[in-house]
Amino acid sequence: MRLPTPRNPFKRRPARAPRWIDAVAAPVRALGPGSVSSVLKVALDAAYVLLWLITGLLLLLLIAAIFIPLDNVNITVSGQSGGRQLPLTRLLLLFGLGAATAYFGGFMLILRSLRRIFRTLTMGDPFHPANVRRLRQIGLTLAVVTGGVWLAQGFVAARLAPGVMDPQGLGELLTPIFSVLIVFVLAEVFREGARLRRESELTI
Amino acid sequence: MAIRVQLDRVLVERRMSLTELADRVGVTVANLSILKTGKARAVRFSTLDALCRELECQPGDLLVHEPGPGDLIEDDADA
Repeated sequence: MRLPTPRNPFKRRPARAPRWIDAVAAPVRALGPGSVSSVLKVALDAAYVLLWLITGLLLLLLIAAIFIPLDNVNITVSGQSGGRQLPLTRLLLLFGLGAATAYFGGFMLILRSLRRIFRTLTMGDPFHPANVRRLRQIGLTLAVVTGGVWLAQGFVAARLAPGVMDPQGLGELLTPIFSVLIVFVLAEVFREGARLRRESELTI
Repeated sequence: MAIRVQLDRVLVERRMSLTELADRVGVTVANLSILKTGKARAVRFSTLDALCRELECQPGDLLVHEPGPGDLIEDDADA
């Protein structure tokens, strides 16, 4: 009868990385279920639907605001130094609702372009020439929306609630300018990508 | 483009159709048409190798350099 050989305690066992290292080092899938892009796609879809609903609601409110009777309605503008009563005029209401609608509508447009870019990515053709135009549109919309917010805040601080809200400084524009610049640089990168794609298409 | 692909002539000489060549070489007919009509920007050596093998010819039989107007100006400048 053969006895089982005793295990040599001095024999070195082959090194094996812990399981968590395998999990971390495993390549993240670029496409398909469970990948980063699929998670991003769900986030984009959810944000798009949410923004669509908000913009639609605000648009309905904007249309309704034209007909709402506004007699003796006051709003309180509150700040650190205390509150202040302001009569709610139709112009003020339309301005507020219009600005909010434009803000959310702008982001909805950006998300629409992003979703279309994503669709080309999932189809395996991210350097489609249309994506260059879409990225430029995103940059332009971002510039208009963030610039509009800056102007609207400046207008509110100067005219509607002077002394309550601090006026906007140019420093507040730094982040939006950087964001817009990044998008435009990416658009140029995609333009070069589209050129290379065209070249590879015509390479037999 | 000053480089012209003489695929038409070689195919007639070999009495071979574009579809048959596409099957033999493993390139789609659409891509061979791009090559034949001179719209191609580049040819891979592997494609050229397969074409020469199937057509039993040399690369020089397939490709011809025809100086265009731009080339002539460059030649004048050199001279």
